Amino acid sequence: MTTEGPLDILSGVNLDIKAGESVAIIGVSGSGKSTLLGLLAGLDAPTSGEITLAGETLTRLDEDGRARVRAGNVGFVFQNFQLLPGLTALENIMLPLELSDHPEPAREASALLDRVGLAARSTHTPRQLSGGEQQRVAIARAFATRPKVLFADEPTGNLDTATGARVIDLLFSIDHERATTLVLVTHDENVAARCARRIYLDAGRVVERR
Amino acid sequence: MRWWKLSVRLFARDWRAGELRLFAIAVSIAVGAVTAVGFFNDRVQQGISRGSADLLGADVVATSSEPIPRAWVDAVATHRLKSAVAAEFSSVVVHGERLQLASIRAVDPGYPLRGALRSAPDLSTRDARTSATPEAGTVWVEARLLYALNLRIGDRIEIGNASFVVKQVLTYEPGRGGNFFAMAPRLLMHRADVERTGVIQPGSRVAYALGVAGADTDVTAFQERLRPDLTPNQRVIEAGQGNLSLTRALSRIDRYLGLTSLLAVILAGVAIAMAARRYSARHYDMSALLRCFGAAQRDVLHIYLPQLALLGIVASVLGCVLGYVAQEGIYQITKSLFPTALPSPSMKPIAFGVAAGLITLAGFAVAPIMRLKQVSPLRVLRRDLVPLPASALAVYGSAAVAMVLLLWRITENWTLTAGVLVGAIGAAALLGGAAFILLRASQRLHRRVGVAWRFGLNNLWRRPRASVSQILAFGLALMTMAVIALVRTDLVASWQRQLPPDTPNYFAVNVLPENVDAVRHFFAERQVPAQAMYPMVRGRLTEINKIAVAQAVTKEQSDDGALQRDLNLTWAVDLPPDNVIVRGEWWRGSADGAVVSVEEKLAERLGIKLDDSLTFVIGGTELAVRVTSLRKVQWDSFHPNFFMMFPPGTLNTFPSTYITSFHLAPEQKPLLVSLVRAFPAITLIEIDQFLEQMRNILRQATLAVEFLLLFVLAAGFAVLYAALATSLDDRFYEGALLRTLGASRWRLRAGHLAEFVALGVAAGLLAAVGAEIIAYVLYARVFELPYDFKWPIWIAAPLVGAALVGAAGYLGTRKLVDQSPIAVLREI
Repeated sequence: MTTEGPLDILSGVNLDIKAGESVAIIGVSGSGKSTLLGLLAGLDAPTSGEITLAGETLTRLDEDGRARVRAGNVGFVFQNFQLLPGLTALENIMLPLELSDHPEPAREASALLDRVGLAARSTHTPRQLSGGEQQRVAIARAFATRPKVLFADEPTGNLDTATGARVIDLLFSIDHERATTLVLVTHDENVAARCARRIYLDAGRVVERR
Repeated sequence: MRWWKLSVRLFARDWRAGELRLFAIAVSIAVGAVTAVGFFNDRVQQGISRGSADLLGADVVATSSEPIPRAWVDAVATHRLKSAVAAEFSSVVVHGERLQLASIRAVDPGYPLRGALRSAPDLSTRDARTSATPEAGTVWVEARLLYALNLRIGDRIEIGNASFVVKQVLTYEPGRGGNFFAMAPRLLMHRADVERTGVIQPGSRVAYALGVAGADTDVTAFQERLRPDLTPNQRVIEAGQGNLSLTRALSRIDRYLGLTSLLAVILAGVAIAMAARRYSARHYDMSALLRCFGAAQRDVLHIYLPQLALLGIVASVLGCVLGYVAQEGIYQITKSLFPTALPSPSMKPIAFGVAAGLITLAGFAVAPIMRLKQVSPLRVLRRDLVPLPASALAVYGSAAVAMVLLLWRITENWTLTAGVLVGAIGAAALLGGAAFILLRASQRLHRRVGVAWRFGLNNLWRRPRASVSQILAFGLALMTMAVIALVRTDLVASWQRQLPPDTPNYFAVNVLPENVDAVRHFFAERQVPAQAMYPMVRGRLTEINKIAVAQAVTKEQSDDGALQRDLNLTWAVDLPPDNVIVRGEWWRGSADGAVVSVEEKLAERLGIKLDDSLTFVIGGTELAVRVTSLRKVQWDSFHPNFFMMFPPGTLNTFPSTYITSFHLAPEQKPLLVSLVRAFPAITLIEIDQFLEQMRNILRQATLAVEFLLLFVLAAGFAVLYAALATSLDDRFYEGALLRTLGASRWRLRAGHLAEFVALGVAAGLLAAVGAEIIAYVLYARVFELPYDFKWPIWIAAPLVGAALVGAAGYLGTRKLVDQSPIAVLREI
C-alpha cells in the first residue's frame, strides 16, 4: 500500500521451475526481480496468488512454516555477500550447518572452503577478505546444506567484471556438480546467458521468456 | 539441545569479537555493588551471631537495673547451672590531672562462662586468650583509656574513692554485645571492689547481669522459670538474640549502602540497555540470515536468550569476585566501629548477586533482544527493513519490574520501595529535564566558540538522548558524592558553629541529693556557668491508656529506644527555659497531682495524645499519670532535658540522683579533677568527646557509602562507553570524512576532548544544582540550621566532571583518529 492506493509490484507472473533447472530473472532496477526472488524463496508472502516450493504450498504457510520449508531446501547468495563480520570465513560457512544440526559442521565447512579455493583463509574474517573472496565464501555457505534450490540475488553486482566472471564460473560449476536448481537474479545479460532459461521482467510483469 | 549448542558457540564467537564486553562489565559492576553490600552485611550478621554464646559470655544472661534478685540465684541452684554475676556502669577514671569517662564492668573470677577474655601485658605485646580476671585492687583497661589518660601498665588510677593498679591491656571481652558501638573505653575490675569506690548509690544507672551456662534443657528451664516474673526493667537475653539498638544502627547503614548499590545497578542497567540496543541492531543481519536458513522466530530466541543467560552468569560470577574484594574495603573503613575482627563473609550473598545480575540483565536487555525475533528474513534482500522498535511499555516496564524486585529485596519494605521508586522516577524526570536544558544552553555557545568546541558541542546535540543519559549518569554519581562529602565535612561543623559560645560542654550526672548544694556552690565559687539541677528517677513506660505498650504500639514503634530502656524522669516547678508548651498547659505549683508533660516528638512517635493515661514502673512500683501537656524541647541547648516531666511531689518518694550541665573553658579543665575528687560518685560526660565520637561514626559510615559510590561512578563510565559504542560507526565515518577534507588529527582529538569536557561540565553543573537543593532541604528543613550557599560544590563538581568524563571520553575516542581515513571509508 502507498498513499496513492494499492501498488502492484508484481502481477500476472506465472512461472514453473523444474528440479535441476537454471533460470535467470532479468530486468532493470525496480522491475521487481528481487521481490520475485523473495517470494519464490519464501522470504515474503504475496498478497494474492500461490507459490509452491519443493512440494509445499508456501502461500498457505505462516512465516515460521515457510522457515521450515527453507531449512534444508534453500540456499542463498546475495549481492552484498551477507557474511557476518564477527565470524571467520570457516564459521560463516558452518552457521547453516550448525543450524541444521549437521554432525560435523567444521569438517564439511572446511571441505567447501577448500572447494572454493580459500582453504588458507579459514581463520580470516570478512574484513580481511577481498570482495571476490567474500562472495566465494558466501557461495560455499550457500551450498553447505546441500539445498535443492539456490537463490542468487545479483551475485556479481558488487564485483568488477573479471572477478565477477570468476565467481560466476565457480557458482555454476558447483551448481552442476550438485545438480542444484538455480534461480539467479541479475541485470547482466552475460551472466543470464549462462542459465538454461531467461525471464525478463518489466514493471512487475513478465515481458519475455527465452 | 541443538539451539543450546549453537547458542554457546555463537556466544563464544561474540565474546571473542568483543560484542559482549560492555554487557559483561555493566553486569559485573551491578553485581559487584550489590554483593559488596551483601558480603559486608553477612559479615556483620555473622559477627553478631557467631559463637553468640561467646559474644554474650554465657548461654543466657538475665539483666536487671537492680541487684540480682534472690529468686534468680535460687533458680541457678535448682537447675544446677554455672553462673557469674557482673555489674556494669559508667564512671569517671582519674589519673593525675587527667580524667576520662569509662564503661566499667565488675566481674567475679570465673567470668566469662562462655568464650574467653583476651588481654596483653602491655601495648607492644600481641594479645592472647586468658582465663584469668582482674584481681582485687587491679583493673584491666582498653588501649583507648591508656591513651586518653596517658597511662602506662603499673600506673595507679582512681575510680570514685578507691585507687587501682592497671595490670593488663584489655583487648576483647565477651558480653559486649549491648555496647557494640560503645562510646567510652572499657575497664574491667573485680566485683568485690565496687563497694569501695562508692560510685554506685541508690538511683545510679547500673546494669546487673547474671550469666548462666549449662545443659540446654537446664538453661531453657531456667529461662522459663524467670520469664513470667520479669519486671519491666529486667530482661533475659539468649545467645544469638541480636541486640536491638545495634541491629537498628547497622541496618540503617546497611540500607544506605543498599540504596547506593541500587543507584549503581540502575546506572549499570542504563548501560546494559544501551549495549543491548546496539547488540540487537548489530544482530539484525544475523537474525535475518538465520531466518533465511530456516530458523523460526522461536528458534531465534532460543539462540539469543541462552546467550544472554550465559553472559549474565559469567558476568555475575565476575561481579561477585569484585564484590568480595570491595566488601573488604568497606570493612577496612568501618573496622573500628566493631569491637572485634569480624569473621570472613560466607558465600551466601553469591546467590543473591547472581540473581541480581540476571534480573538486571533481564529487566534492561530482554526487550531490545526480543526484537531480534521480529527481524524479517527479507532483510537479506532489503537492508532497510528493521523490526519495529520495542514498545515503551515493554522496555520501561521490564526495567521497572527488575528494579522493584531488587529494591524490595534491599529495603524489605513495600512502602519504602514505592517511596524510593516514585522519588527516583521524579528525580530522574526532573534531572533529565535539567540535563536537556543544559544541553540546549550549550548550543547557545555554539557560535561563540572555536571549531573544536563547535564540533564537540555539535556531537552532543546530535545525539540528545545518549547525551542526556550520560549527563544524568555522571550528574547523579557526582551529586551523591557531593552530598555525602558535605554531610561528612560541613554538616556537623555548621551545626556546631551556630551554638552559642557558652553552650554547656559537660554533663554531670549521678550527683547525690545530699551533694546538690555543695556541687552548686562548687560551680558558683569558681564562676562556672552551670544549668539548674534536675532530679532524675529511672522508670519504664509500661502502659498507654491501660494497654501494655507492646500491644498499644505498632511493631516499628515498639523498637523505639524510649521503650527499650528505662527513661530518665524528673520533676520541676517551672517549665525549663528552652522548653515550649505546644499542647495543653504546664502545672501551677504541685497541686495538679498525678500528671505528666511529654516531649512532643516522642509523643508523636508513640501516638501519645493529651489526656492519655500513662503507666510507669519505677523501682517495682506502678505510677499512673495523665498527660496534661506536650513540650517542644531544644535538645541541642545541652541543658538537662527530659522526655517525661512530672510536677513536684509525684516522684519524691523514689530514690533519685541529680543532673546538670555546665560550660568549662579549656583553661578551666583542671577543675574537673577537683570536682571528681570532691564528689566521687559524679559521672562526667564530655559533650565534645561524645560529639567527636558521633562524628567519627558518621565519618566512617559516609566513607563506606562513598567507597561504594565508586561503583556508581564505574557504572557512569559504562554508560559513557555504551553511548560511545552506539555512535562509534558514525564517528569513524565522520572522522574519516573530516580528515579527507583536511582536518588534522589534532583538531579531531581536540573536538572529541571538547565534547566530553562539555559533557563532564554539564554533569558537574547538574550535580551542583542537585546537591545544593538537597543541602538546602537537609540544612534548613531537616536540621533547622542556618543555610549558606555551598559555592565550593559549584566549582569542584564541574571541574571533577570535566576531568573524569573528559579523560574517559578522550581515551575512548583516541583510536577513532588513529586509523587511515581511506581504510575507514572503504569499510563503510
